[in-house]
Amino acid sequence: MINYRSSVSNQYSDKFKNKGYLILKTKNNNSLKYLQKKILQTIVKECKIKAPKDLLNEDFLNNFHKKIKYSDLNEHRVNIIRKINQDQNFKKNYFLSAKEILYALVGNELSMQNRINLSIQFPNDASSLLPLHSDIWSGDSPFEVVVWIPLVDCYGTKAMYILPPNHYKKVENNFKKYSNKSSTQLFNKIKKNLEWIDIKFGEILVFNQALPHGNIVNKEKETRWSMNCRFKSVFSPYGDKKIGEFFEPITLRAASEIGIRYKLPEIKK
Amino acid sequence: MIKVRGYMSSREFMGERVPQHVQNLVIRNYCNQNKYQYLLSAVEYAMDGSYLILKQIIQEIKNLDGIGFYSIFQLPYNDKDRILFLEKIIKKKKFLFFCSEGFIVKNRKDINRINTIWLIKKNLNQSLKNFSYFKFNK
Repeated sequence: MINYRSSVSNQYSDKFKNKGYLILKTKNNNSLKYLQKKILQTIVKECKIKAPKDLLNEDFLNNFHKKIKYSDLNEHRVNIIRKINQDQNFKKNYFLSAKEILYALVGNELSMQNRINLSIQFPNDASSLLPLHSDIWSGDSPFEVVVWIPLVDCYGTKAMYILPPNHYKKVENNFKKYSNKSSTQLFNKIKKNLEWIDIKFGEILVFNQALPHGNIVNKEKETRWSMNCRFKSVFSPYGDKKIGEFFEPITLRAASEIGIRYKLPEIKK
Repeated sequence: MIKVRGYMSSREFMGERVPQHVQNLVIRNYCNQNKYQYLLSAVEYAMDGSYLILKQIIQEIKNLDGIGFYSIFQLPYNDKDRILFLEKIIKKKKFLFFCSEGFIVKNRKDINRINTIWLIKKNLNQSLKNFSYFKFNK
């Protein structure tokens, strides 16, 4: 394959392909701060909690499980997601936080998921788990990547896990053997090969959603807060999540704008 | 209260088929969430290329505030017809909403947004004709 990519792009691409993910410090701190501030303001309003003196202090989010009733968590989460997605600048800043990595790994003509997801995982909460899965198995296109942004430091069981590509090959080759097993049985089978992704606030994780990934019960003493959103190249194949209902172009270039509108002149009436 | 008429398809649109009762449920739910008065839906004829019912709704639009669709891809397939329809709505100071995509059309900028997605989808359907990643890679 001819490769005219920049050396930085090659470096990112090689890491991404070999590890199944890439973590970089954002080059756009202002955008990340915007996301953080917006979320915190929304939480304070939605949950009717007194705003701390230093709103941006991570302790507020880390100790969130002490501030609301567990039974109200899901309703708050849904309302917070709705409110942040009503803010058009939120989406833009999400993209800007990860722009450099996306341009290197996916391209510069991107479709972005319409709604950004927010995940909140209280300590010892088994109800908001995402068991082992690959997004492609449930209809996502393998041309997508997930941009996963933590709002707090994630480590140990507070982190997510992923099966690296070299170990995934074995699962793929033996998939028939696993097909009658539950995701927990599959998890136990591959547990030793999983990689736990430690990541700090200020860093951006982009991962290959084709690789099995998930989380387990958060046994740490802090609440996990993370956002996720998918990106793909505008003109690559879509899976079950289509353009319009799930994705929208965000960086369409002039040549494509012209191309999609082009019509050959008519020569017959 | 904002009065809206639903518009439903009885045939495939851009390769998608959604049962009418599902389209109806989705539009009704959207209306409830936004506190619109839902004046039931008109169902388009099943014949390919028919937009007779859509044209009929336009004729009674003065009694409505807007029209609710399940998807943007139920709009007229022909580019000129689609834009003409959208411009008519804007001119009459009415609005459209599309539940599946969560889009609203109220001004020219919105028309451009919808139209760009339409054109990308059309081009994708051309360039990826008969291409299903999942079938292709079997």
